[in-house]
Parts: sequence; C-alpha cells; structure tokens
Amino acid sequence: MATTAKPVQGKIKRPNIPAAGIQVPGVSSFEQVDNELLATLKPSPKWFIGLGVAVAAMLVGASAWTFQIYWGLGNAGYVPPVMWGVYIITFVFWVGIGHAGTLISAILYLFRAGFRTTIYRASEAMTVFAVMTAGLFPIIHIGRPWKFFWLIPYPNWRLLFPQFKSPLLWDVFAISTYLTISATFLYLGLIPDFAVMRDKETNPIRKRIFAMLSLGWKNTDREWRHFAKMYMFLAAFSTPLVLSVHSVVSFDFAMALTPGWHTTIFPPYFVGGAIFSGFAMVWTILIPIRKWWNLEHYVTLNHLDATAKVVLFTSIMVGSGYLSEFFIAWFSGVAPEQEYFWNRVFGQWWWSAWILLLCNMIFPLSLFSQKLRRNPTWLWILSIIINIGMWYERFVIVVPSLSHEFEPWQWSTYMPSWIDMCFLVGSFGWFFMWFLLFIKQMPVIAIAEVKEIVPPKMLHDHGGHH
Amino acid sequence: MQGVLAVFPQLDAVCAAIKDLKAKKVPKVTVYSPTIQHEIDDAIDAPTSVVRVFTLIGASLGVTFGYWISIWCSQYWSLQVGGKAIASWIPYTIMGFEMFVMVGCLSTVAGMFINAGIPRLVTNFGFDKRFTHGDYGIWIETTPDKFAELESTLKAHGAVEVRGER
Repeated sequence: MATTAKPVQGKIKRPNIPAAGIQVPGVSSFEQVDNELLATLKPSPKWFIGLGVAVAAMLVGASAWTFQIYWGLGNAGYVPPVMWGVYIITFVFWVGIGHAGTLISAILYLFRAGFRTTIYRASEAMTVFAVMTAGLFPIIHIGRPWKFFWLIPYPNWRLLFPQFKSPLLWDVFAISTYLTISATFLYLGLIPDFAVMRDKETNPIRKRIFAMLSLGWKNTDREWRHFAKMYMFLAAFSTPLVLSVHSVVSFDFAMALTPGWHTTIFPPYFVGGAIFSGFAMVWTILIPIRKWWNLEHYVTLNHLDATAKVVLFTSIMVGSGYLSEFFIAWFSGVAPEQEYFWNRVFGQWWWSAWILLLCNMIFPLSLFSQKLRRNPTWLWILSIIINIGMWYERFVIVVPSLSHEFEPWQWSTYMPSWIDMCFLVGSFGWFFMWFLLFIKQMPVIAIAEVKEIVPPKMLHDHGGHH
Repeated sequence: MQGVLAVFPQLDAVCAAIKDLKAKKVPKVTVYSPTIQHEIDDAIDAPTSVVRVFTLIGASLGVTFGYWISIWCSQYWSLQVGGKAIASWIPYTIMGFEMFVMVGCLSTVAGMFINAGIPRLVTNFGFDKRFTHGDYGIWIETTPDKFAELESTLKAHGAVEVRGER
C-alpha cells in the first residue's frame, strides 16, 4: 500500500499519494492496469528459453552437490588455513542481494517514496529467492547437510543445545526470521492481486487455485482497514530487520580476531554493500522485464533514475568503508593489520581487490551523469559490473584474510575447485528458476498498489486529483 | 443473510452514498473498493484497527521467548569458559530481537486475519466481480421491506446497478 497517513478532513483531494513527480502518467485507468499487468502472465518463447537456461544451471549445481555428498567435502577447494571459500562468499553475496527487496518494500514505504510502487513486487520476490539461495550455502558448507537441524534449539533426548554466543547461530536466527518475514510480506501483498486474478480467470482449475490463494479476499472496507494497518506494522518491523540481518552476517567475520575482519565498521559497511548489490540485481532483472513485456510506462526512466541515486549513494558509502579500512589499519599501528591491507592491494590478492575497487567505487561514479542514470542499457551493464564487484568484495574479505593471518609460516593460497564453481553457477540457476516461475504465475507489478496511484473515475471534477 | 448490493463506477459517488447512509443511520454497511482509497476511509470514518494490540502482545511474547530460550538452554547445557558469564545477555539480544520481529510480525498477520474475517470460504454472496477490477460497491445487510427505499437512495447517488440478494 502506497500510503499510510490518516485522510485529511474537508475538501476531497488526494494529498497522501506520494507524488514526488515519479508517477505513472502512461497509465490512466484501473482496466488498463488489470489488462496490461495480467497480460505479462502469458508465457513467451523468451521466458521458456530463460527458464531452460536457469534449470540447466541449477542442475549443474545439483549434480555438484550430489557428487560432494558422495565423495565428501574434500572436493571443495579448501586448503588450510583457508577453510571458508566460495560457499561462504556466495552465501554472503546472496544475503546481500536479498536486501534490496525489503528495503524497497518496507523502508521506502515508511518514507513514502513514490518510486517504490511499481518496482517493489519484483524486488520482494527477488529477496525471497535470494535468501532461499543464500540459505543453501551454510547447509552445503557443513558437509553433512542432513545434520543442519542441529543448529536449531529443538528439544532432544540428551537436551543438548547450540551455543547461543556463536555468530553462526545468530545467522540461523537472523536468516530464518528474514526469510519468514520476507515471504510473508510478499504473500500478503499478493492477496488483493490474487483476488483480481480469481475474478478474471476463466480456467476453472486456475480459478480455484487463485480463490484459495486469495483467502476469499473481497476488497471490503474492513479488509482494507486492517490490511493497511498490518502492512504498516510489517514495514516497521522489517526496517530494523533489514539492517540487522547483514549486520549479523558481518558478525561472522567481525567477532573473529583475524586481520581484516576484527573491525566495528563491518555492520554498516555490510548493510551498505547489501543495499548496493541488491539494487543492482533489481536492475538486472527489471530492465529486461520492462523492455520485453512493454512495461516501460510502469517502470519509467524516473523510477530508474531514483534507484540509480540510491546505488550511487550506497556506492559512495561502500567506497568510504573500503578507504576507512585502510585508514584504520594504518592508524591502529597493528603490524598484522597493516601487512594484511598492504597484501590485499599490492600483494598476492591484488587483482581481486582492484576488481572490487573498480567495479564498486569507480564505475558507479558514472551515475553522477543524469544522462547515464536514465539510460537503461548502461544501468543493466553497470548492474552486472556491480554484481561481479560485490562477489569479489566478499572474496576479498574471506580469502585474503584467512590466507594471510598472524603466522607467516601458515600463509597460504586458495583456488576454487570445479565443484565450487558448479555451486556458484547452480546458485544463479536456482535463483533465476524460481524468479522466472514466479513472474509467470503472479503479477510482477502490484496491481492493487498501482491502482492506488492511478486517478480514480469521478462523477464530478473536484479539482484535487492528479 | 439478505440485503442490497449497489455498484458505483465513480469514487465520489460512492463516498456521497456512504455519507448519506451514515446520516440516515443505516446499519451494517460494507463498502467495496478495488484499492485503498482515503476518500472512502474519510467517508466511513471507522475506528482505528485493533491489529496493533496483536502486534504488541506478539512482539512482547517474542522478545521474552528469544531471551528465555537462550538463557534456559545455556543454563541447562552450560558451556563454561573462564571469566565468562554462562548466560550473557548482550549476544542474546540478537535472539531476543529476531524473535521480537518474527512473533510480532506473525501475530500482526494473525490479527489482520481475525479482524478482517479471512480466510473465508464463500465470496459470491453480497459481492460482485467488478469490485476487484475497477468499480466500487456498497452492500447493506437488511430486510426485504427496506430494499425499495435503499435502492432509491443508492441510485440517487449514481449507482449503476442496485439489486436485492437473499
């Protein structure tokens, strides 16, 4: 729901709609919204090709997992002391991707940012599938995935419980809460749209499915009143949740004494990076969708411009984090820290550090140009660059630190094995498979919310309408 | 259940009808709208949703459970480290916070379901498919002897269709 404020008494006008100059001028009626957004649910050849590629990639990952379960975790590229590799890097990468959705749907909702209305559904779905992807990696990483439930404090016959002071257990709580709340938020926002689909559907089986999913929603004033209040509370809960999840993930590193990790800057730096990469992934998926399904009058250049400003801001935030780390290492006077940061940019891992600096700090500076902020092709290319950069950011955090700790005799190297790379490919396949299936079953733009910003039909012109 | 159902294509027409029905003190009026419209909220002037009470109770129980489970498990299966507290409230704040959010959110959703009356099995009575697309509606639960009077009131405000359902 786009607005939360109490209605203004007196003359009928629509003061609470977040105008901000970012509306949908190409959309003029509720019928147009229904027809155009429901038309996106018809499968096209491009969609089938995309789904085929995603399923193939997912099968690559599934095969690698089967191989690893049979032959053991030794097939991953771990070399002591680098016992965290691609699995944890990819876990943090996908958790980060999962941040933009709830940020857009919850935080921008509370701030009444008008540009969220047409992009939040795709972002929310992206969040749920990204967190589902991320959640696989700790399970893969433990080697014996069938034992993962030991992390949950369930009643058991010996009354053995997990260590609640461990950041890894904090992750379990944070990620499972985030997944539950993100999925709940996504589903609840879909209920009014399921009702639209139920009443438009002619196929009796699909109609029955939509009837069940809509829970008998009828658009009554009573439903909307409680729904709006619930939505506001969910947004209010989700706002600190978004900020906490990646903070908790950053504690996996920051609680350790390892050089490069033991720093208080990690939580804000991780959250900024997560929002940065999440918005980039929103571009990766939304720019082709708006182009191929003719939704350019819903996700307009103004929307892209607004998101580009968020990306630019978070890029500067992340860049400041990178530079602060170097400053803190120098200022601390701690030799292993200084040695580690020197090694990061001029030593063994220089190439990965420079990839991340170029991708995350330098290329996004192009967004100071309004022309480029409004160029979808450039934004899509930049989104790929940023996502590569953000994967490397996690690589730079995990691998150089572990391979270059306090004891020089222990310094080592790391090379991902083919199994690691198959899991990385498989994670993209898994994510895009779910996303592609989602966008053909459910509207990728929220129908009920778009109607909220479309001028309603009036019997008399009251002068206050958009 | 029996009553009168009216269909309005225009927002201001349905708002005017609601205000008129309120002035005439007509009870059991349900308004349909394809999306949230503040003009309708304004016309109905309904009390604030009680969903917030569910939120408060759920969030309070959640935060209590989050701290309790961590402290209880630590006390029961104590991992003793010299100089460290067995149950340490600072890291347990993470569990407290996560449970605060999780249970708070889920109880808010439960509150919405209970108060909005969903899930419901029957949607076709006192309802028209047009209400999920673009039209507004008013359903008044009443006896057949009042149908004619209500029909004339609703039509006077621009209802394009008024029908009695029983």
